[in-house]
Amino acid sequence: MSDNPTPSRPAAADAEGRNTPADKNTAAGKGTAAGNGTTADNGTAPDNGTTAENGTTAENGTAAGKGAEAPARRPRRRRPRFSVERGWFPPLGTKGKIALVVSLLTGLLTHGYHLFRYPLYLTDEGIYMQRAWSLVRETSLSPYTYDYDHAPLGWITLAGWVYPLPKQFETFGNAINTGRFLMLLVHVASVYLLFEITRRLSGSVLAATVTSFLFNVSPIAVYFQRQVLLDNLMILWLLLSLFMLLRREITIRSVFGGGLALGIALITKENAVFFVPSFMYLLYRRVKGSASSRFTSTLWPFAAATPIGAYVTYALLKNELLPSGFDFDLNNPPADHVSLLYTLWWQLNRNQGTLFSHTGLLQTSWLVRDKFLLIAGVCAMVMCLWIGTRDRRRNLGFLIAGTLAFGYAFYLVRGSVVLDFYVTPLIPMFALNIGMITDRLLKGSFANRFMRGAHSLTRVAVPSFVAILLLVSPASGYLVHTNTEGRTQIADQYQSKINLTGMQHAQIAWVRKHVPPNSRIIMDDDLWGELHDVRPFYPYAHSHWNASSDPDVRDKLFRKRWQNVDYIIMSNKMRKSMMTNNSDGRENWILQALRNSTRVWSDTQGNIKLEIYRVQ
Amino acid sequence: MIVAIIYLVLIVVSILLTVQSAHVLYLMLYTWDRADAERQARAPDEFLPPQISFSVLLPARHEEDVIQSTIERVVRANYPAELLEVFVICSQDDDGTIKKAEEKIDDLKRKGLHNVRVVVFDDKPINKPHGLNTALPHTANQVVTIFDAEDDIHPEIFSLVNTVMVQEKVKVVQAGVQLMNFESNWYSTLNVLEYFFWFKSRLHYHAHYGSIPLGGNTVFFARELLLRLGGWDDRNLTEDADMGLRISAMGERVRVVYDDRYVTKEETPPTLGHFIRQRTRWSQGFMQTLKKGTWKKMPTRKQRWLAFYVLAFPRGQALLGIYLPISLGMILILKVPVLIALCSYLPVLLLAAHFLVQAVGLYEFTGAHGLEASPKAIVRMAIAWFPFQMVLAYAALRAMRREMLGRHDWEKTQHVGAHRATTEEAESRVG
Repeated sequence: MSDNPTPSRPAAADAEGRNTPADKNTAAGKGTAAGNGTTADNGTAPDNGTTAENGTTAENGTAAGKGAEAPARRPRRRRPRFSVERGWFPPLGTKGKIALVVSLLTGLLTHGYHLFRYPLYLTDEGIYMQRAWSLVRETSLSPYTYDYDHAPLGWITLAGWVYPLPKQFETFGNAINTGRFLMLLVHVASVYLLFEITRRLSGSVLAATVTSFLFNVSPIAVYFQRQVLLDNLMILWLLLSLFMLLRREITIRSVFGGGLALGIALITKENAVFFVPSFMYLLYRRVKGSASSRFTSTLWPFAAATPIGAYVTYALLKNELLPSGFDFDLNNPPADHVSLLYTLWWQLNRNQGTLFSHTGLLQTSWLVRDKFLLIAGVCAMVMCLWIGTRDRRRNLGFLIAGTLAFGYAFYLVRGSVVLDFYVTPLIPMFALNIGMITDRLLKGSFANRFMRGAHSLTRVAVPSFVAILLLVSPASGYLVHTNTEGRTQIADQYQSKINLTGMQHAQIAWVRKHVPPNSRIIMDDDLWGELHDVRPFYPYAHSHWNASSDPDVRDKLFRKRWQNVDYIIMSNKMRKSMMTNNSDGRENWILQALRNSTRVWSDTQGNIKLEIYRVQ
Repeated sequence: MIVAIIYLVLIVVSILLTVQSAHVLYLMLYTWDRADAERQARAPDEFLPPQISFSVLLPARHEEDVIQSTIERVVRANYPAELLEVFVICSQDDDGTIKKAEEKIDDLKRKGLHNVRVVVFDDKPINKPHGLNTALPHTANQVVTIFDAEDDIHPEIFSLVNTVMVQEKVKVVQAGVQLMNFESNWYSTLNVLEYFFWFKSRLHYHAHYGSIPLGGNTVFFARELLLRLGGWDDRNLTEDADMGLRISAMGERVRVVYDDRYVTKEETPPTLGHFIRQRTRWSQGFMQTLKKGTWKKMPTRKQRWLAFYVLAFPRGQALLGIYLPISLGMILILKVPVLIALCSYLPVLLLAAHFLVQAVGLYEFTGAHGLEASPKAIVRMAIAWFPFQMVLAYAALRAMRREMLGRHDWEKTQHVGAHRATTEEAESRVG
C-alpha cells in the first residue's frame, strides 16, 4: 500500500507566468550556424526508414553519392552523418525496429496490466469523465456552471472516445475505466513518438531505448499516466507537434500540422505553454535558410493560435470572455456570469508554493514514487543544457531536450499552486534527457577493432545493468518494493493481491443496495459517473466541491443547511481536501452534517479509508 | 423546422467552403511546400547552344505606341536571328499599328534584319485567337510562341526554352508571366500576388497532374502540335486555357518554368473598369470552356476533376459573393447556437490564413525581384482585401449574367496605351 492521499482541487491553476525564452541566444546561433550552409550536399541522410517521406530522399541519395565520390581518398566511413537542423537522421535499422517494438510492448504491459485496479480513482479523473458525460448526454461542457478553469478540449476528446463505444461510459465497467483505457492507447502512441523524437534528437537508438524504458517502467510514470488526466492527452499532442518538427524533410504541411498539434495541446491543458519557447527555437533552426522559411515561420504560429482562437471565440460568443464591467478585482469575483479572462487572471495570481517544504509534494509524493527518475532527470537536464549551450550548432538536440525539461521544471518550482499530478508532463522530458545523456556518456570512437567491440558491448551492458538493478532493487519500486511490514514484494502497480478500486466498487454497491435514488448525497467526483450514468440514477448526488461553491447546488438544492443532506460518501482524501478547501468556511455546513451523522459503512486498506455516513 | 434547415445549410456550406479554401491555400503553397517542386520550377543554370527555331506571334490591335519597341525587344533577344521569325498580327482596319509595324520592319531591314513580317486579316471575328489562327499557316519554324504587344520579355527567354525543350524533350513550355506594379493602385498588390502564386506555384501543380489551363503569352508550342490540334478556338473568350486543356487531354506533358529571373513582365489593368471587364471575360471564358466539355475527354478522373475544379471556380466565386453577406447577416440576426456559429466562422479563419499567406507572398515577390515591400503595402492590402474579393465576385456574377443572356462578344474597352497587360488580356487590342 503506497497510495498517498493527496489533496486535489478541481479548479486547477496551471497556466501561468512566463518562461525565460530558451532561444534568446539565437542571434549568436545564427552566426555560428551560417557557415555550415556552404557544404550542403543535400541529404546524405542514408535513411529509408519508417516514415514515408516521398521520392525526394532517393533523389537526394544519388546526388549525395556523386558528391561523396569526388574526393576519392580512403574508403568512406560507414558512420552516417547526423544533423537535427537539416533532418539527417540515421535510419532506424533492424536493431532500432526491435527496440521500438519492445518499447511499445513494454508500455502496453506496464500500463495495461492492472489498469483498472491501481491506482485509486482520483477526484480529477471523475471530474473529466463527468464533463465528458455532460457533453455526450447533455451537449454541454459541464453538468455544472463551466467557469473556464480549464480549456475544454481534453474532455471533448474523452467524449469523442466514449461516444461511439458500444456501452459508452460503461464499456470497460465504469466511466473512469473507460477513460483509463484511452489513456493506455494514448500512452502507447506517446511511446512511439517519444522513441522517434529521442532518436532524432540524439541520432541514437540507445538513447531512445533508455528513454522509452523510463517512460514505460518508472513507477511515477505508471502511477500518473494510467490516470485519466488532461496532462496525458496534452503530452500526446505535444509529442506529435515535436515529431512534426523533426521530420526528415520539413514541409509547410508538416510545420502547419505541428503548429496545429501544439495549439490543440494548449487547449487540452494550458501548461503546455512552458514548452513553447523550445519549439520556437527548434522551428527557427530547422527552417532557417530554406526556400519556404517565410511561410513556415508565419504559418506555424498561425496554426497554433487557431485552436486557441476557437476557445476564445467560444467565450466571446457566450459573452463570457470579459468579466462584467471589466472588473478584475480578485477579492470580489463577478457574480452575474463567469469569465475566461477573469479566471485566467485569478489563476495567475494564485500563490501558495510549498513544493520544497517537508510537507510539500516533492517530499511526500514525487520523490517517494521515483527518486531515481527525478534526481537523474535533473542532473541530465543540467548536462543537456550545458552541452547544448556550449555548441548550439552541433548539439541542437541536447539544447532542445534540456530546455524542454527546464521550461516545465521552472513552472513547477516557481512557487505557484502545484497539484500532485502536475509532475506528469515532466516525466517524458526527464526520460528524454536521461536517454540523451546516457548515450553521450557512452560514446566513443576507437580505431582498434577489439576496443570497438568492447565499446559496443559496454554501450549495451551498462544501461542493461542499471535497468536490471532498478527492476530488482526494492528501494526503487520499479518492479518490487518493501511493504510496510518490511517484506519485499511485487510493487503495488503490478500486485495482483491489491485491488484499490475494488474498495470504491464495494462502496458504490452498498449505496445501490441501501440508499434510495432520490437521496441528497455529498460525495467526491470520482463516483459521479457511477451514480449519474448507471440506473437507477442518483440525480441529487453532488461533490463537496460543487455543493460548497456552485450556486445552483449550494443555494437551491442544499440551501447551505446540513439538514438537507441525507448521505455523505467519504474518503480520507476527501476529508482532507474539505479541510483545505474550507479557508473561507464554505464547507462548514457540510462538516456540520458530518458531525451530525452516523457511519453506516467503512473499509480500510493501508492508508486508504472509505466510509459512508447517514445524516440524522 | 426551417431554422433547422438553415442551420444545416450553414454548416454544410461552411465546411465545403473551408475545405475548398484550404485546398486553394495548398495549391498556392505547392511549390514552396515541396523541395523537389521548387527545384523543378527553376530554370536550368546553364543554357545549351541555340538549336531550336522559333516563330514569334505578336497579336496587336491599336498598339501604335508600343509595337515598335516590342518588335525591337524580340529581335534583340539574345538568340541567333536566323532561328527567329516574328509575325505582327493586325486586323485590316487597324491602319495605325500596321503603319508603325511596317516602319519598324523597314528600319530593321536597313540594319540587315529580315525576319519580321506583318500578317493582316480581314475576316471576322476580330479577336486574338482568330488572329493567331490566321498567322499559324505562315510560320515555318519548329516552335511557335506568343507575346502580347506590351510584354517586357527577358532577352534570354529563347535560350531558356531552347534548353528546356532539348533537355526534357517537351513540346509545350509555359514560362512565367508576372505583373510588377504592386504599388500603383488599391487593387494592384492583390492582383500582382494572384499572378505570383498562380505562375510560381499553382500552375506547377496543374502541370504535374496533367490538367493545365495555359496562359495567353510566353507560352511555347511545337508547331506540329498546334497544327494537329487545328489551332485555337476563335469562339472562346479564354482560348489559351482551352488550348491547355486540349493539350492535356491529348496526354501531352506541359513544362512550367517560373524562374524569377526570366519572367515576362507586365502591368495590372489601369482602372477598375478595365480590371472588371478583364475578369469578366476570364470568368465567362472559363464557363464557356466548362460547357464545351473538353475536360470530359481527359484520360484520368483526377485530371477531369482538376480541370472541372478550375473551370467551375468562377461560378463558386459568384456563389461565395452571394453567400458571404447572407451568412454574416444570419449569424447576426438569428443568434445561432454557439457551436453552429463557431462552425460558420471556419471559412473566416481560412480567409485569415489566405491573407497571411498573401502578405508573406508579397515579401517573397519583392525579395525575388529586388523590390521592397513596406508595412504600408501590407496595410493597404488588408484594407483592399474584402473589396477585392467582392470585385472578383461581382465580375463572376457579371460573367454569369452575360453567359445566360448568350452574349459571347468581346467587351470593347478603350485603348489605354502601354500599361495594358495580363496573361490572357486581349480586349484592348480587339476592342
